[in-house]
Amino acid sequence: MSIFIPSKSRSAGYARDRMKLLLVSERVGCSPQMMKMLKNDLIHTVKKYIAIDDTQVHIHMTQNPPVLHADIPLRAKKERKTKC
Amino acid sequence: MGEVIVITSGKGGVGKTTTVANIGTGLAMMGKKTVVVDTDIGLRNLDVVLGLENRIVYNLVDVINGNCRLRQALIKDRRHPELFLLPSAQTKDKSAVSPEQMIKLTEELKEEFDFILLDCPAGIEQGFKNAVAGAERALVVTTPEVSAIRDADRIIGLLEAGGLRNIQLIINRLRPEMIARGDMMSVDDVIEILAVDLIGTILDDEQIVIAANQGEPLSGKKSQAEEEYRNICRRLLGEEIPFMELRQKKGMFRRLGDIFRK
Repeated sequence: MSIFIPSKSRSAGYARDRMKLLLVSERVGCSPQMMKMLKNDLIHTVKKYIAIDDTQVHIHMTQNPPVLHADIPLRAKKERKTKC
Repeated sequence: MGEVIVITSGKGGVGKTTTVANIGTGLAMMGKKTVVVDTDIGLRNLDVVLGLENRIVYNLVDVINGNCRLRQALIKDRRHPELFLLPSAQTKDKSAVSPEQMIKLTEELKEEFDFILLDCPAGIEQGFKNAVAGAERALVVTTPEVSAIRDADRIIGLLEAGGLRNIQLIINRLRPEMIARGDMMSVDDVIEILAVDLIGTILDDEQIVIAANQGEPLSGKKSQAEEEYRNICRRLLGEEIPFMELRQKKGMFRRLGDIFRK
């Protein structure tokens, strides 16, 4: 922030995050490109049944335990806002 | 019966051969009868790091093909009576040996030695398969760089798929000043990414290059890297040695900078 004190570089943190993302998908044989396709397919499928905010969908995998997480925000219904 | 340990990395140039030379020398200095085997057929290297290049008569392929007896190919290190080298062949290629032949060789070496250290070639092809075939334990060497870490992860996956469960990690060429600056992944970062047990952390140290130039690993000069290689040896022998704090050399200006940063 200061002109005199160099701000801490973040290349190591960037590298760590990239590697975590890459390796977790490589371990299950699913490339980042395939993850994108999976995400699009998920959006497409869920949309058939529920209204979702497809710009805010996030999917990621964790190592321990190995789980595929999908955050799919639902589109809030407008009727809710009006009092009944 | 001895223990067969393969030292591997996937990526080349991360310090496998240097690690084998230093750990082999360390174990021998601790009185364990140790043989270091160069399994990189066609690219012989371990002999020069150990300073034994002028004493090679027979090699690994000669032993496997029955051109000589095992004892004739083993080179005894005169400086360390418990250290022996089985050099690799220069003229043959990696297809000259099969995994079955390597298993037979390591079984034979186990009768004679406390530790059998296998210096694995880079890559995941035939040479890697040969080197890991007879191993009961693996030390995976990596550096805190994205390329080396990705390859280490591949190697760990392949070792586990091959049924090898005893896998430990050596993180080489750490530079504390870069880690402090946030420009190099830390030991914790690497362990978190690879999710494997640690057995040693080695600083990027001039003394290691100097020792290799002279063909004398662990020559007794005071350096943190050599101290840590000895610690790895003790951990291999079952001792519980805490991991060293990575010290960094600092100039006056950087110290001043640290004070201001606070």
